[in-house]
Amino acid sequence: MYTIIKKFIKYGVVTVDYPKKPIINPNIIGKPVIDKEKCNNCCVCIDNCPSSAMKARKEMKNKTKKEQITSIHINIDECIFCSLCADICPQKAVTMTNNFEMAEKEREQLRLSAPIIEDKILPNDDYELIGKRLKENINKYFGRSLQIREVDAGSCNGCDNEINALNGPYNDLERFGVSFVASPRHADMLLVTGPVSRNMELALIKTYNATPDPKLVVAVGACACSGGMFKDSYSTKNGIDCIVPVDIYIPGCPPRPQAIIYGILKAIERI
Amino acid sequence: MIEKIIEMLSKNLFIEIKSLNRLNDNEIYIEILHNNLNKVCNFIYHSIDCSLISLFANDERDIDGNFAIYYTFSIKKAATIVVIKTKIKDPLTGIPSVSADIPAASLYEREIRDMYGIYFEGMPDDRELVFHENWPEKSFPLRKDFSSSERPPFVDRKQDFVKIGGTGVFEIPVGPVHAGIIEPGHFRFSVAGEPIINLEAKLYYVHKGIEKLSENQSFKKVLFISERISGDESFSNSLAYCLAIEKIGSLINIPERANFSRTIFCELERIYNHLGDISGICVDVGFGFASSQFAMMRRWFQMLNETLTGSRFLRSVNIPGGIRKDFIKSKESLIISEVNKLEKEFNETVAIIKNNSLFIDRVENTGVVKLLTASDLNAVGPAGRANGIEGDVRVNFPYAAYKHIKANLIIHGNGDVNCRMNVKIEEVIESIRIIKEALEIMPVDGSINESIENIEPYKYAFGLTESPRGENCHWVMSGEKNTIFRYKIRTPSFCNWPVLCHAVRGNIIPDFPLINKSFNLSYSGNDL
Repeated sequence: MYTIIKKFIKYGVVTVDYPKKPIINPNIIGKPVIDKEKCNNCCVCIDNCPSSAMKARKEMKNKTKKEQITSIHINIDECIFCSLCADICPQKAVTMTNNFEMAEKEREQLRLSAPIIEDKILPNDDYELIGKRLKENINKYFGRSLQIREVDAGSCNGCDNEINALNGPYNDLERFGVSFVASPRHADMLLVTGPVSRNMELALIKTYNATPDPKLVVAVGACACSGGMFKDSYSTKNGIDCIVPVDIYIPGCPPRPQAIIYGILKAIERI
Repeated sequence: MIEKIIEMLSKNLFIEIKSLNRLNDNEIYIEILHNNLNKVCNFIYHSIDCSLISLFANDERDIDGNFAIYYTFSIKKAATIVVIKTKIKDPLTGIPSVSADIPAASLYEREIRDMYGIYFEGMPDDRELVFHENWPEKSFPLRKDFSSSERPPFVDRKQDFVKIGGTGVFEIPVGPVHAGIIEPGHFRFSVAGEPIINLEAKLYYVHKGIEKLSENQSFKKVLFISERISGDESFSNSLAYCLAIEKIGSLINIPERANFSRTIFCELERIYNHLGDISGICVDVGFGFASSQFAMMRRWFQMLNETLTGSRFLRSVNIPGGIRKDFIKSKESLIISEVNKLEKEFNETVAIIKNNSLFIDRVENTGVVKLLTASDLNAVGPAGRANGIEGDVRVNFPYAAYKHIKANLIIHGNGDVNCRMNVKIEEVIESIRIIKEALEIMPVDGSINESIENIEPYKYAFGLTESPRGENCHWVMSGEKNTIFRYKIRTPSFCNWPVLCHAVRGNIIPDFPLINKSFNLSYSGNDL
């Protein structure tokens, strides 16, 4: 017992005071940005991007009727943050910033080209309508406390490891009144990872239906946002918005714990 | 050693062997007719001290019109891999099953049957493995005529669990969505009162088709897929892939600095994983203080990973031919100070948990695996070493800089939760030693990668690494235009899942989370 108390005193509270104090760490690999001045549209990055997140915007020029690439952009929802583009760009136009606070409520805000969401399987359209109507009230209800159920719909376990870290001594999500619960019936928010594998589709729909309204759905990680590295496979969907309506998208592969905190707090409008 | 094995095999099997090739220094490929399969496999399995480490099929109809099946045995004492290859023209012909004599083969045969539609005659367990009730019959995704983006319609079929009968026996279904933050899987416990009679794990909920996705992709892109096979084993999985590609690309001399860096990253990965596992064991015992303490140390190392490479999971570090950048340069003193800090804190906290009689009471003699079960099912990694199985790729098939820095085998004999935990505790200390030694003797300067731009088509090789969970066995075959023709991934979790199902028998249900955590298997690495 004496040794345990000694350790208590030695370490005290180790929790990082995020988001009150911003995390400044030059080693974080965050949002990639393209310097339009330097970029000469050589498209090396597009050819090499492993998750095909780099896209060229093409426009037809009226007179010559030839397709011309006007600019290259990155779809953050598909990006796996491997920083390969920054390494191979001959013009050094791509840089990886330290900004990890990338969560957005609309997927369109994460990308320039419109997302292609195939055959949307919604369990029941009413749910979305109810959700929309109650959205204003959600903040009122959930502003102080939030119960989360995590669903792994086919991730590689990277995102789940980071979600687990939220319960650890450094991030301690409970200080916001946010906690993880064992059953979707107790939950206000579903935190979904993975691109939705074929065998998890039914389980995800059942979990979604078991969660009482009003509810929020958060897509965590590149796979959940867009399918990531596993898109267009015979056994996965391209992101969870093919199955359930999503309230907030947190990009990253995997997103660091603070990025998930940012997303959760943004979803309940506390940031 | 290898010459002796080749001589012995060709002497004893001279009638059966159609051809014998030695490739990549230590891989012996023997081609036989499938009628002789049982005889040859039994001869190798029973007369040589070896284990079946992988068994996979390959659709080679584009090359020579046949399906090929590869039975892979590893002879650990001689650092040799023996591959028995057999071909069949028509998958419906059926080839003899070897799993009655080699129990570890059973899961592989079921996997091949699901993915290729190749039938094995006389399988002891012929139920489906990979696909669930919703998958239509007669769709075989790993055949080349199946498009990777084709999504077959959903059907509703019935699949059976093993039924245990008797008075007072009932079933408890758990999952796929669990109470904790873990990956999905369905467990069917058959219990009478508290003790578990049988556990059946229905997995493959996170099957994403990784092997199919890798096919026809450029070998540079598949590297990023290999990093995402299992989230927390990114480095060892990508290293296994890189080792295979380096053999295919005939790149023999990897810069020494890259080799040492890889070794350091392997050990960093092992440390943060083992710390997480020990923390999880403390959670399941209900020892909150110790679990927070180990979680804190895990975070130190994930932060160190981030400081070194920018990724908390050591992603985007490996490339075929070396490592991407010189991540270690000018950060040696940081690594040493972190490692020393961990060593002190770790030893103190371990002393606290080991002196706690309540803690030891929970872990000792819980989830005991019998040695015969473990060796029959080819238990790998800490799970195997806790049973006294002397298997560690770092020792048996040294890769990266393990030729220069000998890793010591850590062996325990009882096969319970305590032994598995002790193996992990001692391996953390061993990893600290390896990191320190590597930093001392690694060359100060020099290049850190040799680039591979082109690989020859239809060459193949194994990549073996020791991930925190155990032996990782990847087999890569190159295709035309620098693509991958076939990528067979066998992670340690695939071998250890059946061992877990045996370990829980006779234990009470409340101990299941603890036993599960002492193995800490990856669902994603198993389901692919």
